[in-house]
Amino acid sequence: MLLHFNIQFKILNRRFSDFGLPPIIAYLLLSILFVTVSNALFTKTEYAVYLYYFLVFSTLSKLSDRERNDFLKLCYKGNVYFKLRLLENLVIALPFIGFLIYRLAFIPILIIVAIVLIMTIINFNTNVNYTIPTPFYKTPFEFITGFRKTFFLFPIAYALAFISIAVDNFNLGIASIIFVLLICISYYSKPEKDFYVWSFNLSAVAFLNTKIKTAIYHSSLLVLLPIIILCCNFYHHFFVILFFVILGYIFIITMLLAKYSIYPKSMHIPEGIMIVFCVFFPPLLIVILPYFYKRAIKQLQLILE
Amino acid sequence: MIHIEKLYKSYGKLSVLKDININLKKGHVYGIVGENGAGKTTLFRCIAGLEKYEGSINSQHKLLKQHLGLLLTNPFFFEKLTGKEYIKLLTNARHKTVEDIESKNIFNLPLNKYASTYSTGMKKKLALTAILLQDNDCFILDEPFNGVDIQSNIIITEIIHKLKSLNKIVVISSHIFSTLEDTCDTIHLLKNGSITKTVVKADFKTLEQEMKAFSIGSKIETLNLK
Repeated sequence: MLLHFNIQFKILNRRFSDFGLPPIIAYLLLSILFVTVSNALFTKTEYAVYLYYFLVFSTLSKLSDRERNDFLKLCYKGNVYFKLRLLENLVIALPFIGFLIYRLAFIPILIIVAIVLIMTIINFNTNVNYTIPTPFYKTPFEFITGFRKTFFLFPIAYALAFISIAVDNFNLGIASIIFVLLICISYYSKPEKDFYVWSFNLSAVAFLNTKIKTAIYHSSLLVLLPIIILCCNFYHHFFVILFFVILGYIFIITMLLAKYSIYPKSMHIPEGIMIVFCVFFPPLLIVILPYFYKRAIKQLQLILE
Repeated sequence: MIHIEKLYKSYGKLSVLKDININLKKGHVYGIVGENGAGKTTLFRCIAGLEKYEGSINSQHKLLKQHLGLLLTNPFFFEKLTGKEYIKLLTNARHKTVEDIESKNIFNLPLNKYASTYSTGMKKKLALTAILLQDNDCFILDEPFNGVDIQSNIIITEIIHKLKSLNKIVVISSHIFSTLEDTCDTIHLLKNGSITKTVVKADFKTLEQEMKAFSIGSKIETLNLK
């Protein structure tokens, strides 16, 4: 059993190292981030504890994957397997329980412990194989695969837009637009295998232009509903809506270019830092965008031309 | 014609391909045989332009990759992308329009299901279908028979014969000698990154016997099976 945890620990450390962070720094940063976000959540909203339940459940559900557990059952006998699974779940839940102890919230602790116990026993397929229809068939793949992975977020985003009208809160409406565009940005966070770029009979410039056009067109389809709702009800804020939509498009393009700027490798800390700087100070995009574009062309030329 | 001359490839100090010289002619099927790690996949990736190399690879096309169908040993499929969408992606990439994909589904694949959930053989068949629909002039098929059922093996063999008759260049690697015997005109033996032997169809039987003798030798006895 100790070997299992040793291996898991090594795998995690390797992931941090691959991302460009020494594991010790990664653990430190994650701990600071966890405490800061938890503090902010519990002081600003009464629903924080529900978010905690959801986070614990969704994280543990990944460990409950049937295929993974079948493999563990092959390796470990009955009792050892259950001890191992219980320990795994407890390790994940520990930071949440720790913060709840600090908040003296004992009932939520009991609920989280119950989730841990239930998830130790239950195994299920984490992959839903039902083919979710999308309107993006003509130009695969980013929005097809991305939409199918995040489809459940769109009703939440659209609901925010409707609620913004009901409570007459324009900012909430803008938040729904930002939410949708952030989901679209996430579709460009990982590089595809080189075969999928290599297959294109396009120059690097044409390839990027096609990708950008597709990104704008498809994200427009997804963000159209909140835009219409907001424009109909807050028409005097039309230019503010337009500003945020255009800014969202620019960030989608930035993410797309950042991905190909280091292609076929994954984005690392430097690209991440540049994007974060742009979020806090958008005029930086004037410099960063052409920089990513030039580097993306250079990287793509190696594969396409 | 693809003309490969003095091709070298190394990863750091590790030399993977050494002095490869081959001519690949139209209307011919070539087999590349070698043990695991001999350099077959690296050679294919070099021809496709997916790897940097020393030496030269020339063809009648300005950019060979735009006319090349590449079937990888383990084709990668995106999560949540159906078989039909995969074919659409690869044909779009080559500016080809396939009106009725279902009618081209000769392997009876469940095209509306996610390709990532397919079995090994089904993945291979889907990847092959997609590159066939790209209308390429040259095909590199890295282990096309691997994991595929007998019926589909027969179809793949016939497809290769058809490609040959259509004057295409076909390069195959396979670990099943009989499949190469059925399809190839010439076999190149790749060993430790070098072509050590080139054999024409008439001498395939001799090559097979030589390979058997060399590969098996007295290895089984060393296992001391009881």
